[in-house]
Amino acid sequence: MPLLVLLMLLAQDFSHRGFVEASANIFPQEAVNDSAHFVGEVRLQHEGFYKPWKNLQFAESFDLRIDSHHQTEREFRLDWKDEGRQRALFSLRRLSVQYYHGGLTVEAGKQLVRWGRTEIINPTDRFAPRDFLTVVDSDFLGVDAVRATYERGADTIDFIWSPRVTTGRIPLPNQRWFVPPEGAPAFQVERQLPERSQTGVRWSHIGVVEFAAAFYDGFDYLPSYEVTPGSLVVREIYPELRMFGGDIEVPLPLVSIKGEAGYFQSPDRRADDYVSYVIQLERQTGEWFFIGGYGGEVITREGLQSAEFNPVRGLTRTILAHAGYTIDANRSVDFEAAVRENFDGFWSRNEFSQAFGQHWRMTVGFTLIRGKPTDFLGQYRKNSHAMVAVRYSF
Amino acid sequence: MNSLRNVLVLVGLLVLAPVTSAQDARAIVEEAQKRTTSTSQRYEGTLKVINEKNSVSEKRWNFERIGSHGNSKSMLRFSAPAEVKGVALLVVNHPDRASDQWMWTPAVGRERRIALQDRSRRFFGTDFSFEDLEERDTNQFDYRLLGEETLDGAVCWKIESRPKEKKASQYTHSHIWIRKDNYVVLQIENFKKTELIRRARYSNVQRVQNIWTAHHIEMFEVEANSRTILAIEKLQYNLPVKDENFTIQAMRREP
Repeated sequence: MPLLVLLMLLAQDFSHRGFVEASANIFPQEAVNDSAHFVGEVRLQHEGFYKPWKNLQFAESFDLRIDSHHQTEREFRLDWKDEGRQRALFSLRRLSVQYYHGGLTVEAGKQLVRWGRTEIINPTDRFAPRDFLTVVDSDFLGVDAVRATYERGADTIDFIWSPRVTTGRIPLPNQRWFVPPEGAPAFQVERQLPERSQTGVRWSHIGVVEFAAAFYDGFDYLPSYEVTPGSLVVREIYPELRMFGGDIEVPLPLVSIKGEAGYFQSPDRRADDYVSYVIQLERQTGEWFFIGGYGGEVITREGLQSAEFNPVRGLTRTILAHAGYTIDANRSVDFEAAVRENFDGFWSRNEFSQAFGQHWRMTVGFTLIRGKPTDFLGQYRKNSHAMVAVRYSF
Repeated sequence: MNSLRNVLVLVGLLVLAPVTSAQDARAIVEEAQKRTTSTSQRYEGTLKVINEKNSVSEKRWNFERIGSHGNSKSMLRFSAPAEVKGVALLVVNHPDRASDQWMWTPAVGRERRIALQDRSRRFFGTDFSFEDLEERDTNQFDYRLLGEETLDGAVCWKIESRPKEKKASQYTHSHIWIRKDNYVVLQIENFKKTELIRRARYSNVQRVQNIWTAHHIEMFEVEANSRTILAIEKLQYNLPVKDENFTIQAMRREP
């Protein structure tokens, strides 16, 4: 009986949500290193919140997934670090404790952190490594961190310290989203993970014009590659990185203008120093929303690395567009596109989504990729695909 | 002399009539506002969206407000259906201008400001627009008494309101029906020039902590031929809520 009472008390302060999704991607073309035409996946995501006291909350989120293409490990283990090349079958996205008092909120543990304001590309979003196994359909990974946020009036200071760097997940070498250099011999990759902590601070202000300034000191969560001539070993490195950046939103009578920029500077001579920026216009009219923008990059010092994998930089020098239409309470369509300024690459995602009842949603769509093999987008020209996903939310 | 005085009185009445009408209308709206003033409010809302094909979708939200009428902050958080659970809207109302609004979508992990020009959009597939969820002070409008009409068996004043700052609203003007016996708003029709955009009907009026409140609000959107019925439950006024629960950080904290 006491146990029952305890469970009832716990239940009163516990809330959760999540979904189970089955999805299928169909690729009409074979890739050089991947002849599969079909990739299926089933994923369970759960998020739970428990509030034992008014100002204290525990949060958890995990993914349980399996797929037909070995993008997910087959071994059942709890993955906290997200360091594996493959997705873990059972991985923690969030496990944190949060305390708040007045304007101060402190969260410690594994958590999702998002900075920045623009869409598609976020130069200042440094604590949000992504899973790029499927390059054009990425997902965010959690980071181990202590985050303190103090909000007073219109100003907020956000301070983050993370004891280790969670690296982004990059395409698997035997799959279509990895495009091997032409004529390259079989090589071994020697991975050097960053070994020190990362820190960042962001000050944001809300008002008629909203803006933020951010600083980050840590590592690039995406790798550069160093090739020694004559050696079949390629070193995968994550260069040290400092970022000075900011974002702004200016609402005008007809459109909202959003901008975000970061200056990236590395003490590692192998990495580039560069400025990455995005400027976009947003407008909603009726049930339509439109976002159009440009992502640009200026390299201020060229690094000595042989190659890098960086979809965030790969999508710069690009015109970006996103539009959506809400047909009714249950149905919507969504269109996204990116066109390189020299027209060497093109990517477009188009989706229709419909909800059924309180729990079910089906999404169908297609992604079209075209371009030259030398272009970041164009290299995936054989990866255009159709998709269907059925989700049960709870 | 008498006839001259009578003419002057008549001229005076004719000149003053619109002013008096406007003053009366303002006084009526201010009285209605005064009678619904509270330091805070909390309720659970169930929304039924019924489209033109009569298909029904249901949503639920929890609503909390601190302050009242143009000097208030409110937080609205969806609790159902499952796919929008946790989505929140923070509205900061100002006495002298349109509100500020931010929306939090857990799946995206970032808050998004709702720009003024985007407020005419339907709020999450309901027939309420983002603008309909804000609460403005009477001083932001000019009023004119249009006459009296009977609605749902109750005699009402019919009042026209026009926003003083035209760009701050998607509506050029509204017609408001206020019951003469208890100053409860029974209906609001919102227009863009001569075109009716939305009609809100207020019913199931109950007295809660001495405030007459409609527990059933039906919003009809003319163009979509769709209506949303908001049923209010567990309504409470004047609760001890804290200002710190109405910030962007609070919106990000879940649930």
